[in-house]
Amino acid sequence: MSKLSFRARALDAAKPLPIYRNKDLPDLTDCVSINRAVPQMPTGMEKEEESEHHLQRAISAQQVFREKKESMVIPVPEAESNITYYDRLYKGEFRIPKQLIHIQPLGLDNELPDYDMDSEDETLLNRLNRKMELKPVQFETMMDRLEKASTNQLVTLQEAKLLLNEDDYLLKSVYDYWVRKRKNCRGPSLIPQIKQEKRDGSTNSDAYVAFRRRTEKMQTRKNRKNDEASYEKMLKLRREFSRTISILEMIKKREKSKRELLHLTLEVFEKRYQIGDFTGEILNEVTVPLAEKTVYPAPISLPISSRHKTENKIKSHKIGPKHLHPFPVKPEPHFDFVRSHKKYNKRPKLDTFRQTGWPERIQTINKADIKQYDFHSSGEEDYPLSPASEPDEENDPDGVFAFRRKAGCSYHAPVVDQSCSPHWQQTGQDQLWQRNCLTALSVPRRCIAVACRRVGRGGRVVLDRTSSDLDHSLGHLDPDMLYPSAGSCVPDLPVHTNTNSHVSQRSLTQLLGDIQACRWKFFRPRPLQDNSRAEDKKGTPPVEKGGGTTLSNSVSGGFTEEQFQSHQQQLVHMHKQLQQQELQQNSTAAEAHLHLHTLDSAGAHFAASAVINTPNNENRPQIASVNGVLPNSGSFRQVKVNRSAPSGGGGAGGESGSLVRSPQLAVPQSLPHGHGHLSTVSAVSPAHTHHTARLCAPSPSALKLASVASSLDRVPKVTPTSAIDIARENHEPERLALNGLSETTVAMEVT
Amino acid sequence: MAEPTVEIVEGCRLPVLRKNQENEDEWPLAEILSVKDIPGRKLYYVHYIDFNKRLDEWVTPDRLDLKKLQFPKKEAKTPTKNGLPGSRPSSPEREVKRKAESVSLATQVTAATPVPSLPSSAEASQASVYPAMRDSSFSIKAREEHEQLTSLTTNGTTRRLIPSQPGRKRKNCVGTEEIVKVFQNNSPRSSTVYLPPGEDSQDSSDGIPSAPRMTGSLVSDRSHDDIITRMKNIDCIELGRHRLKPWYFSPYPQELTTLPILYLCEFCLKYLKSLKCLQRHLTKCNLRHPPGNEIYRKGTISFFEIDGRKNKMYSQNLCLLAKCFLDHKTLYYDTDPFLFYVMTEYDSKGFHIVGYFSKEKESTEDYNVACILTLPPYQRRGYGKLLIEFSYELSKVEGKTGTPEKPLSDLGLLSYRSYWSQTILEILMNLKSENGERPQMTINEISEITSVKKEDVISTLQYLNLINYYKGQYILTLSEDIVEGHERAMHKRHLRIDSKCLHFTPKDWSKRGKW
Repeated sequence: MSKLSFRARALDAAKPLPIYRNKDLPDLTDCVSINRAVPQMPTGMEKEEESEHHLQRAISAQQVFREKKESMVIPVPEAESNITYYDRLYKGEFRIPKQLIHIQPLGLDNELPDYDMDSEDETLLNRLNRKMELKPVQFETMMDRLEKASTNQLVTLQEAKLLLNEDDYLLKSVYDYWVRKRKNCRGPSLIPQIKQEKRDGSTNSDAYVAFRRRTEKMQTRKNRKNDEASYEKMLKLRREFSRTISILEMIKKREKSKRELLHLTLEVFEKRYQIGDFTGEILNEVTVPLAEKTVYPAPISLPISSRHKTENKIKSHKIGPKHLHPFPVKPEPHFDFVRSHKKYNKRPKLDTFRQTGWPERIQTINKADIKQYDFHSSGEEDYPLSPASEPDEENDPDGVFAFRRKAGCSYHAPVVDQSCSPHWQQTGQDQLWQRNCLTALSVPRRCIAVACRRVGRGGRVVLDRTSSDLDHSLGHLDPDMLYPSAGSCVPDLPVHTNTNSHVSQRSLTQLLGDIQACRWKFFRPRPLQDNSRAEDKKGTPPVEKGGGTTLSNSVSGGFTEEQFQSHQQQLVHMHKQLQQQELQQNSTAAEAHLHLHTLDSAGAHFAASAVINTPNNENRPQIASVNGVLPNSGSFRQVKVNRSAPSGGGGAGGESGSLVRSPQLAVPQSLPHGHGHLSTVSAVSPAHTHHTARLCAPSPSALKLASVASSLDRVPKVTPTSAIDIARENHEPERLALNGLSETTVAMEVT
Repeated sequence: MAEPTVEIVEGCRLPVLRKNQENEDEWPLAEILSVKDIPGRKLYYVHYIDFNKRLDEWVTPDRLDLKKLQFPKKEAKTPTKNGLPGSRPSSPEREVKRKAESVSLATQVTAATPVPSLPSSAEASQASVYPAMRDSSFSIKAREEHEQLTSLTTNGTTRRLIPSQPGRKRKNCVGTEEIVKVFQNNSPRSSTVYLPPGEDSQDSSDGIPSAPRMTGSLVSDRSHDDIITRMKNIDCIELGRHRLKPWYFSPYPQELTTLPILYLCEFCLKYLKSLKCLQRHLTKCNLRHPPGNEIYRKGTISFFEIDGRKNKMYSQNLCLLAKCFLDHKTLYYDTDPFLFYVMTEYDSKGFHIVGYFSKEKESTEDYNVACILTLPPYQRRGYGKLLIEFSYELSKVEGKTGTPEKPLSDLGLLSYRSYWSQTILEILMNLKSENGERPQMTINEISEITSVKKEDVISTLQYLNLINYYKGQYILTLSEDIVEGHERAMHKRHLRIDSKCLHFTPKDWSKRGKW
């Protein structure tokens, strides 16, 4: 080739290159093959490897022959393809699906053990199988669990027992075998695994360590946003799923009820046939009294997830009395607190559940029950599917006083064990009287028997009802007759009580006598008018007078903003007083009321809207009572609506009228259509109280949970889940107690 | 026969008998990489110089030509320019040469020992990071390890080490003379070679061995190589109907490397120590195809897409298997940023893996393939080209051009060159002249049509000698033998990708935030 006498232009990738066949170019020899102007492209191989003998030979062979020659191929180590036992090993056939295979992402993880039995294991298995039946998979699962529970140290036999839950003989033999095998094992685990990196960097150059985690993320900023968005989406998805579950659960429930109804109708019909009631006379006779009880309408529409929670709660209510209290459960409608979530505004709602007369099925808590607790995060949307027909007030009953979290403000969790000391159970019935007091409500006017008060979030008073032998008779008491003569009890005066009485059983008359003589406490929310009057008394907590006025009366009697203001002042004053009192008391009591110190203005609003009465520790008995008030005149209108409700919405009125009729069940926080917190008193069933009490029993997990509950603000959302989790794991009666906890916390979260 | 008087140690070179493809005896020069004592006899792990590592093997003493034995030249005071060329894993000799040069830059220090391989260097560097922790036992340990490794031979690292001398870090910046003093104060038996700072600025920090880059799947920097990774560690792998002899090291659990046969589940690729275990595993494993979405099927050939983040277990198992046949593949990092495209062949038992390629979800360097492998039993039957073709089909759907990640292996280079040649020639030869004019085409057009990156198009045109300079412009000329050779090759190439059978929608991974 002649040397180029001129300089060729650089090869331009964008310039068209004409394509010639050699035969078209007779003067091809004039054409100079130059690659000079074109930079020599690297092969992309490592220099040292590129010079390898076989490659060079193959390349030159290709250059010369333009095709591969057998002998010029790069030799590689041999491979055989004649495994004779292949068909025996891979059994069965696999039909090719018509569609392209699409794998379900969730279908991949099955619960099968990673451990695979070897021939040594098989010998043991055969030996064990002489005494019992043990499937290979069972054995593998055992080995798998043992392996995975062990790190550098082997699990002990004790741990293994917890881990495996097998009978002792099997456990021992497998465990011993495993320990032996593990000791002889050359590798770090009986399940061969790729060596993991160590965090300290000592394995950075270990050739056997593979698949190290990438410490740096390639893009961070972009990710963060996406992470958040996808997290939100996941939350939403999860919530929607949980609602689906709830809906399905309810459908299931409804269909079951339908079936029961059918069966009952059939039964009734058969019975009528048997006794010859062809005219329906006997039936009418029987059904008349029942009619009263069946008027309760269907619950108002609720966010479904919270209703589900209610079910959950009621279940344990059902369970509770049966196991722990001998008295019968009356087939009356349940009322319970439920929680609804709306932009952090937790608002109590009322739910009604018909408790059926036939034997209760004790339902076990399934996974769905646990999962349905939803978590909130900022920016999460409201229930998009919640019925649009719901009036606006329905959604926002607290109006401007709706509870909203404030930045920089720490919220303490409601105190769970305010009213029950650890000795509660030991001392039994006697203590019951000491800890609790007779309680009455102003709306409706009636006694709810023995209850114990504590302060829930936002200063609401929660009444934990307790069962007593006098429940029945107390329930029929006229609250008014119990009032001590006016002015006879100034709370500051030390009031003599007979709570130390060792009489285990009191008679009703004795009790009433005690109360009237101020020897035993009686709690009753006080009407408003008294409040404004009590203002004059400069901070001395108001004293109950005749109390013939009901709440609605007092409202209609003209409750002005001024009154409200003064009431608020009074409340603040009372707070201070109480705090001082508490300080004098033992430290635990002080701690229990700590939350009062942390009320911010929003909380104060709340406090204003709530009944505030912290009769606190019963060590120092006093008669203090504050009634429920309306937040301010702003909600006046709503109250009026409420007042009209009893007459208008028969169902709703019925509910509000029967708020506390149920002797053993919780009382709702708010009326269904009365948007103010007319009654923030909650009565909790005996079962509930019992649960709360059991928290104090030395059950480590429960104690732990309780302490967590009191230390974490958000715990009410979390605890129920974990509580139930633990309960499920342990399969112990402790579960009830834990359920109790979950209820307590849920109920308190209402505020 | 091995004479008892001569001790053959690691690093020795001597001709070793091997059979070539024509089954003729050859005596290529080989290096002893390791010696194994099994009762009754010794075995030697040899690397044939200028042959690929995949041919390295354990040989019996009778295959060694002891008459031409060369001992490793430990002392290399004068750099020899005639170091033996060829084999990539550097021999002590070459190492010494390189090092000697660099040492002479510093001062005339007699650095007699080769640079130690990584375990000791890692330790030494740790010592420098924690000077307080460094004590005599530490350095002794490093030294011992070094001595052992020195005798083995070394890797290609020229990593500079920081001496385990108190206060060294301060003196670090003083200057060369200071360093030399420090060095001379040290024991002459010290394992490390100290070079003055500043000579190698990027490594002057704390001497922590830098982790490999986090993108890509291949390593070209072999400084992390050591004697362990230079030797095959698995004897034999049984996969479905096949028994494979691995070509390279693969980090399967160490306790499994002593087994005569490592059993893999054909479908999930789980590794098992015995046939019994495999049998048990198969009762639990119900996979009959790779655990991904089938995105292509034509005839019996299917492609499955597996996300390295979503299906870690399979991806890792696949990588471990692939590492047995890919020298440069690195398993240093997790599989998260990769997608795996597994090619299978269907029969009544299921979808059997034939080969695969991996691909970065987001490549900064236009890579459309990270690693690519046809399993040995299926090699030389056109599957490799099919894999390559498929990878470019994906790029076509994505509307991008792509290139395989470098470095290429010998087989990779041949396969890709062959694919590129055939693809480009196919286009050039099918060009019809429009209205009597000579057909023409730009390199960019070729690149766009084929999704082959421009540089690869040019290198292929060069390799085929198609580019000529004629009458003041570049032309492409198709010679007779090129045309004939191409036609013959295309006649044999019956396995093709049918783009109509591809059901693939590319994902924009950059918007996903995660790989």
